[in-house]
Amino acid sequence: MTDPIVLLQILWTGAVTASSYVLLTVAFSLTQKVTGLWNFAQAGTMGVAFYAMYFLLNDMGQPLFIALPAAAILAGASGIATEVWGLDVLRARSSGNLTFFIFTLILAELIIYILTLLFGTEPQTLFPSILSPVHIIGGIAIGDWDLWAVGISVSALVALQLFLRVSNDGQFLIAVADNARLAELYGISARRAYCVTAAIAGVLITLAMYLFGARSGITPNSPMELILTAVIGTLLGGMGRVFMGGLASLILALIQSYSVLVIGSRWQNLLIYGFLFIAIVVFPRGIHLPRRRVRLPVAQPG
Amino acid sequence: MSVAVMIAIFIILASSYNLVIGYGGLATVAHPIFFALGAYTAGLLAIHTGLSAPLCIAAGAIVAIAASILLAASALRVSGDYLLIASLGFQLGLLQMIRNFEWTGGPGGLTDIPSTITGAARTPAYLAICGAVAAATVALIAWIVRGPYGRAITAMRDEELAFTALGRNAMNLKIVLFAIGCGIAGIAGGLYAFYYQYLSPEQFDVLQSATILTMVVLGGMGTTWGPVVGAALLLAIPQAITFLDLPPAIMAPAQGIIFTGLVLVFLFLRPSGLIGTSGRGAMPAALGVHDHSGEGT
Repeated sequence: MTDPIVLLQILWTGAVTASSYVLLTVAFSLTQKVTGLWNFAQAGTMGVAFYAMYFLLNDMGQPLFIALPAAAILAGASGIATEVWGLDVLRARSSGNLTFFIFTLILAELIIYILTLLFGTEPQTLFPSILSPVHIIGGIAIGDWDLWAVGISVSALVALQLFLRVSNDGQFLIAVADNARLAELYGISARRAYCVTAAIAGVLITLAMYLFGARSGITPNSPMELILTAVIGTLLGGMGRVFMGGLASLILALIQSYSVLVIGSRWQNLLIYGFLFIAIVVFPRGIHLPRRRVRLPVAQPG
Repeated sequence: MSVAVMIAIFIILASSYNLVIGYGGLATVAHPIFFALGAYTAGLLAIHTGLSAPLCIAAGAIVAIAASILLAASALRVSGDYLLIASLGFQLGLLQMIRNFEWTGGPGGLTDIPSTITGAARTPAYLAICGAVAAATVALIAWIVRGPYGRAITAMRDEELAFTALGRNAMNLKIVLFAIGCGIAGIAGGLYAFYYQYLSPEQFDVLQSATILTMVVLGGMGTTWGPVVGAALLLAIPQAITFLDLPPAIMAPAQGIIFTGLVLVFLFLRPSGLIGTSGRGAMPAALGVHDHSGEGT
């Protein structure tokens, strides 16, 4: 029987690890919801965001409060450029799903090759040290960084939820996601909605790469693995259900963390690919929880 | 001449993929894993059993066919984007297994695959063999798609509902077509293993999927000669910078940039492929009209 403290520690560590995965999945899922595309070019955006931060922090000696926003702007701009000069052109040609797939995947690979040429293939972290002060609370080790990571992730999700619910642009995104042509009839620009989505995805991806790159070594190829996690989360959460995608990736990360109790760590990735395959074949529309029936008042006779 | 051998092997691979995706309309990206299964099976048998090369290659093809039936029976229930991603999961999962098992050489790769032909005649001999197999593959596929079976494939791809309503079993046809394409990919893998004598999981990853998909699409999906042109062009052009004698750390990404850059240029300038017709109605469905306005997602 495993010690409950160990189980709780794995739960906490898994949740912290998931903080970056959740943001990546939400970015991917939001893009999929609004544009209807599986945008693998976001792997390139991840690379741009991480290496922009790395370059500014380590080579230019800039502080984080400059590096982080600068990387977010660059990532958002690269997403918008992809939208305007790539995806929009393909849409105008009524291109099929394979063309979009090839374009986004090859664009991601092009960016990865450029980053490999510029930064090499050695794993890099954003900061020289990956250690932070740790407190023992109820027998569980909780680091300052852990709280920071979870806090950033939750704040970003709350901000996104508020944006989608309260702002005009947020409402326009939902309208375009529901029916782009109908939205355009009401004067909402689908192109603008796609660009706003790309910008939001750029910000979320930058935050995720900050959380991920501060604790793990990243190579130019790492984003291709990260984007698969986002794809699986999006699928399991159900397409069009952005925050459920985030929740699914949290659960996946926890399952991966707990799996070390029964399988070797090198098999953890296989678990993820297995989930991807099963998710598509068994739950192609995501996992839908049963809805609670609403009881309507019955009219009383007489 | 080594590049020519590589081109011949990729003509086999791209043509077999064209049969699956171009003629059959089965949008999977897992083709490199059948290439890998053929290669690893042939390589392992050659190392551990000493069987002759043709037998090892045939065994590789059989393993690839068996795996393709496994994937087809489960994943062909879904289509479009779903099939693309399910096949990606299948490919990456099997690659992860190859990477983790020690008997496959693990991440370091499988070495010591015996050379069946040695001496100065090795590369010309392999070129002749691979060239002959490539020609046979192109001829076989042309024969399949021009006969009655080909008409059934086209009908199934273009109007599956009507095809089924006529009493034909679309699923069986898909599985057979998939098995033929993947079996040929397994043969290509066997040839690859014996020529290069070294296999590693990275040679069969997502980039390889994008590579052969690009060869098919840019050459002309659903055409006999499209994959031939696509494979020759996309493998030959990046070799143009080898004369610069750059260090490997620069050469590999530089070739990758040229390759991916070329793909993007062709994708926008010749979306229907170099051999394909320019009329939109002639495009395979996967490349042609498709709604990406975000509706109904």
